[in-house]
Amino acid sequence: MADVLRAKNLTVSSAGGIAVLRDISFAVARGEIIGLVGESGAGKSMLGRVIAANLPGGFHVSEGSLDFGGADLTRITGEARRQLLGREIAFIPQEPLTSLNPVLTIGQQFSEHLARIGGLPRSAFREHIVQALADVRLRNPEDLLQRYPFQLSGGMCQRVLIAMAFAAKPALVIADEPTTALDVSTQATVVQIMRRLQREQGTAMVFITHDLRLAARVCNRIAVLYAGEVIEEGPAGEVLEAPRHPYTRVLKAANPVLSGPRHRLRTLPDQMPTVEAFARLPGCRFATRCPVADPACAAAIPTLREIAPAHFVRCSDACGERAAALVEAEPILVPPAADKGSEPVLVLEGLSKHYPGKADWLGRRKPGTDAVKNVGLTVQRGEFIGIVGESGSGKSTLARLIAGLETPTDGRILVAGEDVTRADSKARALRLETLQMVFQDPQSALNPRRSIDHIVTQAMEPTGASRAERLERARSLLAETKLSGELLERYPAQLSGGQKQRVNIARALCVTPHLLIADEIVSGLDVSVQAQILNLLLDLRAARDLSLVLISHDLAVVRYLCSRVVIMHHGVVVEEGEVDRVFGDPQHPYTRQLIAAVPPDDLDTPWPAPVAVEPDNAEGLERASI
Amino acid sequence: MGRIALELLLRRIILAIPILICVSALIFILLRLVPADPVAMSLPPGSSQADYEAMKQALGLDRSIPEQYWIWISSLLRGDFGTSVFFRRPVIDLVATALPATVELVVFSLIVGTLLGIGGGMLMFAWRGTIGEQVLDLGTTAIMAVPEFLWAILLILFLGVAVPLLPFIGRLDPSVSLPPSVTGFLLLDSIMTGRPDVLGSALTHMVLPVIALSIGLAPLIMRVLRSSLIETIMEDYITQARLRGISERQIILHHALKNAALPTISLIGVQGGFMFGGTVLVEMIFAYPGLGNLMVDAVRNHDLPVVQVVGLVYCVLVLAINAIVDVIYLAANPKLRMA
Repeated sequence: MADVLRAKNLTVSSAGGIAVLRDISFAVARGEIIGLVGESGAGKSMLGRVIAANLPGGFHVSEGSLDFGGADLTRITGEARRQLLGREIAFIPQEPLTSLNPVLTIGQQFSEHLARIGGLPRSAFREHIVQALADVRLRNPEDLLQRYPFQLSGGMCQRVLIAMAFAAKPALVIADEPTTALDVSTQATVVQIMRRLQREQGTAMVFITHDLRLAARVCNRIAVLYAGEVIEEGPAGEVLEAPRHPYTRVLKAANPVLSGPRHRLRTLPDQMPTVEAFARLPGCRFATRCPVADPACAAAIPTLREIAPAHFVRCSDACGERAAALVEAEPILVPPAADKGSEPVLVLEGLSKHYPGKADWLGRRKPGTDAVKNVGLTVQRGEFIGIVGESGSGKSTLARLIAGLETPTDGRILVAGEDVTRADSKARALRLETLQMVFQDPQSALNPRRSIDHIVTQAMEPTGASRAERLERARSLLAETKLSGELLERYPAQLSGGQKQRVNIARALCVTPHLLIADEIVSGLDVSVQAQILNLLLDLRAARDLSLVLISHDLAVVRYLCSRVVIMHHGVVVEEGEVDRVFGDPQHPYTRQLIAAVPPDDLDTPWPAPVAVEPDNAEGLERASI
Repeated sequence: MGRIALELLLRRIILAIPILICVSALIFILLRLVPADPVAMSLPPGSSQADYEAMKQALGLDRSIPEQYWIWISSLLRGDFGTSVFFRRPVIDLVATALPATVELVVFSLIVGTLLGIGGGMLMFAWRGTIGEQVLDLGTTAIMAVPEFLWAILLILFLGVAVPLLPFIGRLDPSVSLPPSVTGFLLLDSIMTGRPDVLGSALTHMVLPVIALSIGLAPLIMRVLRSSLIETIMEDYITQARLRGISERQIILHHALKNAALPTISLIGVQGGFMFGGTVLVEMIFAYPGLGNLMVDAVRNHDLPVVQVVGLVYCVLVLAINAIVDVIYLAANPKLRMA
């Protein structure tokens, strides 16, 4: 088979001469999918930017070549490149909702694309587009032509973009995290559609993702990137099931799983070095975090060695003598039994939240929505409960109701046995000292103009505590969340994503609450950083007898942390119970659909299973017709 | 689209009622506080005290202010706009001749200012990061620093007096006879009655006042358009269009401009309202027989019935401009149409 794209010693450097992509070589043949897997900062999106000549300021290709059908993509000029884009090389973006122009209809944008590709009379456009949209299993394609992107769901937009990408029958498709912004069940559909088109057209594909398990499902081969280097490359199944590089091993062991025993997640210290830090890593860039590094690692750049047929590893320990120490698994977790004797921390009785529809200027009301409908829940001391649902399921509204940020339309909330439903000052005080909320996005949850010590001891402000007392408390809170005391004087902008989320947690712990409400607190984080936060929460439970209501769309994260799980769908609890029972033997069809949408760990189990791929653009159209 | 636009207009009209009531009351009360005596002005010289009292009664000025206000409003609703104390003509006739002149002036100025602004904004965007942009930036700052009435005077000095290229007094050459009035709008009437001489003369007379009025608007539009274009091209859908191989020209014209136009349209709505204020001084300087001149004459002569009505007409014009811009915004932004 002829290679469609071949990267050879590709190196991209910053203005200061630091290689942000170093010595990248790989090839992808017709009909083949290669996965570029890595955490943020690994440089996996840089390749697409090289192809599109869209490198960030100051960055340039300093060495190597990128061969596409005889042309070197690192050298061709603007117009020649533009001729390739869209026709020969197509891109599927990460954010489908913002990747379509909001003021143009789907039909207009697709027509523009067809006109650009050429070879089709304008009179045939409509029929062609309708066929292409039907081909990605969008319902009512005729009707979609007149729709604007904001009337569609993310999954529908992504299917439109996939249809556009494959419209020209391109030789190469670059998909950059195409499912990251989508709900789990939509992810399965989108992956399946993308794979089918790719197989039918024999397209070569580069699939960029942070999700090793997903990559193993989608791709033929996987290249794992770390700090701008390919550290392991091999057949997809082999890389997932028998990773050889210490980083790949840890990455796999840092990812919670949906079946089998629950081992404590393996974590790495710190996070991926930044581009500036590359200069201080003359040898193996992973050495400072590597659990099996020896002094020689920091001195010399290891070469990419073939350790099995077509399986390459860039490590001085490629044969795995030292890494053998990593094989032994972390201890199995046994969740502590909930303390049923004492008063439950939180009881919800028939809790509902109805949002009335917007009234128009004549006072005619549109029908409202029941964001949360008749939800009952009991949280014991020391119990971790997961609330699972997709976007629009009402899980975040439920969190806001518990935290007192919204007032329920019906039902009762009991905190430590006291009714706090009506937010009088006594109820508010009780709620404040008993439960704390940790928000999803630490970036916007932390005031950028306040230093970390002020942020974490914010709750002490009304008490009139002295500066010394607050510093003392801040220091102990940082220690508890495993942050260095050096951060006390810093500002949020100087912290990494994982550090910010810890500060966010530390702040919530300041009043020594009994219950944390955490709304998607790890969804924006990389796998290895996520593992650090999840383990931190487990340690806090052991140290503080803390309870947790964890709102999440990630079933594996919920299974790892929680003993009980509540599945929400359209504001209603459709299933609840012990985590192992619900995930092992789901009763409700929606729960089954959610579980089926997650790629199983066992590569022999086919995925996506048929149940997960119902064409479901009904949701988007519903929203549009309101 | 049609139904939503109609609903929007209807809502605007309903909202205009309380606004107009408040504004009319404000104008009316403020004018009663002015130390002017319309009774004395309405009387021929040498009238007696008895004539004075009779006239005061005839004008309704012996009643209380709320009563007077009510009389004014109810006659307005009946279509009776009162009589000018100074011109001794019905106010409605005065407004009917002056209003089209001002509307023509403002519409032309808005069009010219918008076109210049959009062109300049795109030029500034195309030249971003170059010396050309800095020159434009400096130039527009200087232009904005000069108020429109001063522009009017400068234009007269340079293009009317020093290099006498363009007329700067009135609406027509004295040698040109007025065409019969069909719509009251001189430009339309001259076309409809087949009078190219009138059209030419009217257009040349409009050049300087239109420049004076639009020269302040264009730089504002330029800057807003430039910065929203710069913001827009950072959006994902622009990157995605580039990755589809769409040409840069098509990306700017077809994708970026439509999105970047939205804040610009809002700006034109606000500035369009201000422009009517600008016409008062500019019309006076160019002796242009519009509402502004009528207003100035009326104020100077304590012609309260005219001042009251012209004040209200200005208010209606500003509300109308805002409503029109709202409809344009609605047409340009599908998100509002579909919501």
